[in-house]
Order: sequence, then C-alpha cells, then structure tokens
Amino acid sequence: MIEFLARRAMISVVTLLVISVIVFVGVRMIPGDPARVLAGSDADAAGIEEIREKYGLNAPIPVQYVRWLALAVRGDLGESIRTRQPVTRTVAIKLPITLELACLSLLVAVAIAVPAGVVAAVRRNSVWDVLASGVSLCGVSIPNFWLGIMLILLVSVRLGWLPASGFVPIADDPLGNLRRMLMPSLVLGAGLAAVLMRQTRNAMIEVLSADYVRTARAKGLAQPAVVVRHALRNGLIPVVTILGLQMGALMSGAVVTEQIFVLPGFGRLIVEAVFTRDYPVVQGVVLLTASSYVLINLLVDVSYTVLNPRIRIRGTADGA
Amino acid sequence: MAREAATVASLALPVEAPAAPAGGWRRAWRVGRKRPAAAAGAVIVLLYAAMAAGAPWIAPSDPTRTDWGQIRKAPSRAHPFGTDDLGRDGFSRVVWGARISMQAGVFSILLAILIGVPIGLVAGYYRGALDQLIMRLTDAWLAFPFLILAIGLVTILGPSLTNATLAIGLGATPTYIRLTRGLVLSTSAEDYVHGARALGAGDVRVMGRHILPNIVSAIVVQATVAIPTAIIAEAVLSFLGLGVQPPAPSWGTMLNTAQQFLEQAPWMAYWPGLAIFVLALSFNLAGDGLRDVLDPRDS
Repeated sequence: MIEFLARRAMISVVTLLVISVIVFVGVRMIPGDPARVLAGSDADAAGIEEIREKYGLNAPIPVQYVRWLALAVRGDLGESIRTRQPVTRTVAIKLPITLELACLSLLVAVAIAVPAGVVAAVRRNSVWDVLASGVSLCGVSIPNFWLGIMLILLVSVRLGWLPASGFVPIADDPLGNLRRMLMPSLVLGAGLAAVLMRQTRNAMIEVLSADYVRTARAKGLAQPAVVVRHALRNGLIPVVTILGLQMGALMSGAVVTEQIFVLPGFGRLIVEAVFTRDYPVVQGVVLLTASSYVLINLLVDVSYTVLNPRIRIRGTADGA
Repeated sequence: MAREAATVASLALPVEAPAAPAGGWRRAWRVGRKRPAAAAGAVIVLLYAAMAAGAPWIAPSDPTRTDWGQIRKAPSRAHPFGTDDLGRDGFSRVVWGARISMQAGVFSILLAILIGVPIGLVAGYYRGALDQLIMRLTDAWLAFPFLILAIGLVTILGPSLTNATLAIGLGATPTYIRLTRGLVLSTSAEDYVHGARALGAGDVRVMGRHILPNIVSAIVVQATVAIPTAIIAEAVLSFLGLGVQPPAPSWGTMLNTAQQFLEQAPWMAYWPGLAIFVLALSFNLAGDGLRDVLDPRDS
C-alpha cells in the first residue's frame, strides 16, 4: 500500500511540474515584451529595464523557469500589476468566499442527488426513476448562468424574497451572508446534483444486486436497513471519486456563478484580471487552481485506497 | 432508462448487415418508435441545424440592425421575442445565434476528436514509455478546469469565436485521448488484430483499418454528449465577454446584456437561454438513443 501511495504521489508531483511548465510557457506566449507587460502601460524605458532586471528577464528561459518555480514553491507568485499587492495575498482574501460557495453547493448537490439516486435505484423503472432521470437530464442541459438569471428574475425581482447580488462577510452578519449565498449555491449545486444523481443511481443498482445485499435480505433485514447500512455505504465509494473529478466543473461553475451574483470571490478575480490584462494574477490563479485540482484528486485517491482494499492489491489506478 | 435486452438485440442486429439507405431509414424509424424522446431530440437538433443554415431566410430582419424607436419593446406581433437595448429584433438574433452555437459546438468537438483520437491511438497501440509520457501530459492537461483553461487561452489569444472554439476544443481533447487509449487497449487484444498483424499488416494499417473502425461508434456516442457541453461552454465564454464579441448575435452575449435589464425587459433573458437549454437537452436525448443503437453493450 505504501508503495502504491508513493507511486501515486510521484505521479502527482510529475503532473504538477508539467502544469507549471504549461503555465510558464503560456505566459511567455503572450504577444509582446513580458517586461513591458509587467511594467504596465504607463512605464517608461527605464521602468521597463528595471522590471527586466528585477524579474531576471535577461536570463535564458530555462533559468527563468527554475527561478520562477523556486519562488512559486515558496508561495511567491509575484504581484498584481493593477493593485501592486502580492498575488498570494489577493488570492487568500478572495478564496474563502469561493470556498464557502463551493461547500454550500456541494451540500446542496449531495442533499438532492443521494436521496434521489437511491430512490431511483431502489424503485428502478418506476415513475420516480423516470422522473429523477428526466430532471437530471434537464440539470445537465440547462446552462447554469441562465438558471441563475431566471432565479434572480423570479425570487429577487418578482417576489423580492432574496437580494439579487452582493456579499456580506459571514462574521459580520451570518444570516445576511446565508441569504445572499442561498441562490448562488442552488445554481452551482444543481448541475453537480444532476451528475451525482446519475452516478449514485448506477452505483446503487450495481451494489443492490451484489451477493452481500442478497445475504442481508435473506437474513431478514428490513429494506431500509439493507439499503442504508449495506448498499449505500459501498455504493457511495465510486461517487466520492466522481466528486473529486467534478471539482474542476465546480471551479468553472464558481467563476460564472460569482459573475452573475456579484460575489467578490476567486472566480470574479480571474475574470477581472483577464479584462485588466493583469497577467501575474491570471498566471497565479491558473497555477493554483490546477495544482489544487491535482492535490484534491490525490487525496480522493488516497482515501479511496483506504476505503477499498482491492485497489491496493491491484495497485494500478492508472492516471486519475 | 428502461431498456430490455431483447429490444436492444433486435435493434442492434441490422447494424451488422450491409444496410442499404432504405434499411437505414427503416431502422431509424423503428428506433424512433421505440424511443420517442430520443426521436424528438434528434428532430429538434435537425430543426436547429436548419435554423442555423437558413438564418438569412428565416430571420425577419438583420440581427445587428439597430432601431432607436424600438428600444426594449415587449414581445409583439412585429417582434415576437421583443427587442433589445439597441432596438434589435430578438427573434432574428436568436435565429442567427443558432449558427454561432452550432458552429462552436460542432467544430470544437471535431477539433478535439482530430487531436485526441490519433494521440490516444498511438498511446494505446505502442504503450510503454511513449504511453506514459502522453498520459502524464494528459493528466496535467485535465487538471486545468475547463473554464480556467479557456480563460488562460483567451488571455493569450484574445477573445473571439474562433479562439473560444479553439479553447473549448482543447479543453475537450484529453477526454478523447483517454477514451481512445482505453478502447485501443481492449481492441488490440482481439483476435482479428492479431490476425491482421500475422498477415503482415503494418502498424498504420492495423490502426487505421482494423482498430479505428471498431472504436468509431464509441467516439461518436461520446461526441453527442460532448457537443451540448461545448454549446453551453461557448455561451458561458460569450456571457463572460471572452467569446463572441458584440454586435454578433451569440446567445451568451445576449444573456450578458439581458442581465443588465432584468427589471425593465425580462424577455431579453427568456429566449436566448431557452434556446440553449432546448438545444442541449435535445442533443442529450438524441445521444441517449444513439448510444443504444451504436453501442448495445453499454446498458
């Protein structure tokens, strides 16, 4: 098992290195002189030369990469062109908002998808199953930003129940915070719920036909006990893996959701950075998102290994 | 998703037979009767395609023509979908939007297939160090959440429909590399592949003539799932201002504008969104049906 985990961790390190090369090369591909870009549009020749000196842009590209990576590993991702704040600090301020949104959305998704998936699997081919599958199909087909706009139109504009946009820190006003996070979490959670529901249903159908479930039934256990204690616990294992792989979709979704509901999070930061051509921020955010995706999936794989001993023995969880 | 083994088998049988065009239509008709939802989806997708192709004749007016006397007018006989903040006809813009959406959806996935399938073929066929290298690159590629990757690319290349299509296509590519590689790994072990090799067929011939035809249906099925996702992705990029630029009528761009006038002109937000939703849903429904026809194993 240690050997498997070590190999899995090794793969993650290699992946992270490749990601860093892609991000580094990507930024170098921006047309124009990087020193001019970093210095901003109002810099003079001396300012540009100063930047070139400061960032070592006269050195060969591989040397630049190693220096950049050494700084990045220590948490120094440069500073924003616009605000002159360190990128890591800017991200640290914005991140909690996005994390709150992601956690609430995950909660919404699991709360909808797991019960619906279980019911659909237990009552397979019933009206409930067809209904759940239909709703799930609609869930993956509906653009979540449109769902958000329609919710704002109904709940905020027509009914006036919830504020349409804005953010209140949870420490200042917990209820106000929740009122403003409710719609964004629903919107972001809906798409995830659709995917999770399908997975839960498929996993449960497979598990419910397993021998140990038949044994549990044969020894006279009631249906709820069989479903919850025996089937669900095993059925949820693959669902957890899917959750890890869905983190990317969740991050993409957060970008759009924050844009619609004007939440000053991570996603809004990157869109603003693109429009203001704030390259260090874009670079930093892209690098951090991709790295966290790799780390989250490493964690998911590790926990999966702990939960499911068969993987350890086979030892070939190829790639993902 | 109720499907009985008997039905699937009876549907799958004609696929093996050298079907004449008439037989193909008859089969489509039979599948359609068994699965009305899938048939309806396919018909709606075709209607959208017709709308995209025939936009100049279907749209009553130029989608970019502004009319200062008709700003944000509610739906009426002259403007069934209302008008927008510049007095442009909403219906005409939705019709022309189909063109952009279909283009972005189909071309991006085509690009992903053109890049991903050959790479996956090579990785799965030769295995070894080359495979390892390709898979590590694919892992890294997959680690960029789609929108983050697209945002990065658009930052480098600049926002436009072409670049959005490129970004979506590149984002979808790793899925095809992995899918193809997995399919090749299992297909290479088949007897007919060994047979072809024993008869002296070269690598390219084995890959192109013996492996590829057997994995094509799985790739097509994956495409029907990927296209609606790509269509939504184009709308998202345009909504964020990173895709199609105004005044071109993209559904995403239209929704971006509509959000600023939700209280005064809610109709501006209804139709473009509904157009995306119905198209994506129809693609998904048709894809489900196609999966049953082409890939009867997967049930």
